[in-house]
Amino acid sequence: MAKKWGERLRSWMTKNMELPQDVMMDLPRITMIGQIHIYIENHRGLLGFSDKEVRLLLEHGQLLIKGNNFVIKTIMPEEILLQGTIDQVLFVAE
Amino acid sequence: MKNQWLFFLKGIVTVRTSGRGSERFLNTLTRAGVSIWNVKAHGSQVLTFQMKLEDLPTLRQYARSADCKFEFVGRKGLPFMKKRMLRNSGFLLGAIAFLVVVILLSNMVWGIEIKGANPATEYKMEKELEKIGVKKGKLQFFLDTPEGIQRYLTENVNEITWVGVELKGTTYHLQVVEKNEPKKTELLSPQHLVAKKKGTIVGMFIEEGEAKAKINDFVKPGQLLVSGLIGNDERKKIVPAKGEVLAETWYKANVAYPLEKKSKVYTGDQKVKHILELGSLKIPIWGFGNIGFDHYVKEEDKRQVKFLKWELPIAVTKNIYREAEEMTQVYTEKEAIVEAKKLARSKIKKQLDEDATIKGENVLHQTIENGKVKLSIHFQIIENIAEEQPIIQGDKE
Repeated sequence: MAKKWGERLRSWMTKNMELPQDVMMDLPRITMIGQIHIYIENHRGLLGFSDKEVRLLLEHGQLLIKGNNFVIKTIMPEEILLQGTIDQVLFVAE
Repeated sequence: MKNQWLFFLKGIVTVRTSGRGSERFLNTLTRAGVSIWNVKAHGSQVLTFQMKLEDLPTLRQYARSADCKFEFVGRKGLPFMKKRMLRNSGFLLGAIAFLVVVILLSNMVWGIEIKGANPATEYKMEKELEKIGVKKGKLQFFLDTPEGIQRYLTENVNEITWVGVELKGTTYHLQVVEKNEPKKTELLSPQHLVAKKKGTIVGMFIEEGEAKAKINDFVKPGQLLVSGLIGNDERKKIVPAKGEVLAETWYKANVAYPLEKKSKVYTGDQKVKHILELGSLKIPIWGFGNIGFDHYVKEEDKRQVKFLKWELPIAVTKNIYREAEEMTQVYTEKEAIVEAKKLARSKIKKQLDEDATIKGENVLHQTIENGKVKLSIHFQIIENIAEEQPIIQGDKE
């Protein structure tokens, strides 16, 4: 019950205090530059990596990116910059 | 990524991991603060990525617990370049040694050419040159300047009147004028002797030809003195007229001499500074500190370092500062006149041949103005006024 209350409070705060949602709610912030770059902040780690598919762990669920010729240009504990041809970005619920 | 150059300086390694836990290994590394970039997948379960050389200990630390194998496939950056340089230092050393040898050889004396001297004098000169170190295989830096060599040779070899020393590349060219040079017997073509200047004839020494003027004759320039046409009307002969015609000629000289004369006198104290010049940069090598003299005369001896036939912008300069004192000499009027006359005489002598003599002098005009004695002197000179004039064949008087 307490967890639910906390979540409710947070969503209420973001709604009413105009705070960015990714900060308040631990959601990933995804920036894409056309098809060639994708920049994901607030991820929780790399699960799988091949040149056609990247699987990232999020706070809730996973993020699946599909495409071709993937290269991770930078990886930091909570950020990742991926280069290649991005076809799909999928959210996978656990 | 942001600072690839900095990473390059510190060294970059490329790591290949294979195994199921590759991704997890990456996560642990990033969480440990290792920056990783350029992650690429090669087929299944094989990844390559790049990281800093300095993060290698962290990688080792986590490698034990990782569920994958890893190997290093690439090394870039300065630390590795240094290692390679050390391994290939032989080449570098060789190149440097080569340059040094070429520079050394370019600055050596490779030849001494003496022209105009007979073999005996040449040998003597070579001996004298050896005494001051000028010989084949010596470095030019340690030798005297060409002017210095010139002075030394003129002073120490009695047989020569004058020697011109010139350094061309690696060879010293010495042009010698000997004192008793064998006179060349010229083949003379038929000629007259005519007067060069106006004057009164005081003596005639004719070797060949017919005199056309007498002693005490006043002659004008171009006047025929000795004819090359001899014999009477029946037996004419054309010869090269030869001889000396001494005449009294007149010169006027105007000189001024100051009553007060400032001159610099060396005290004998000197300070030497050696400077290495690299382009416009000047690095003192020896001789530091202030010059210590208020008045001095600077003498510069600059030796350019040569490379083959080019001169490098590197030079070794030796600066000699000689202490000088300014002396003011005050002359009385009489002394000034005497000095002025001396000056006038030396001035006149410069204009004349060596065998001309000054017979007399008259001061025409004498004034003192602006602290100067001004003299106008008339000189009587005895000199040879004969000048050759070729007789053109067929042109008969």
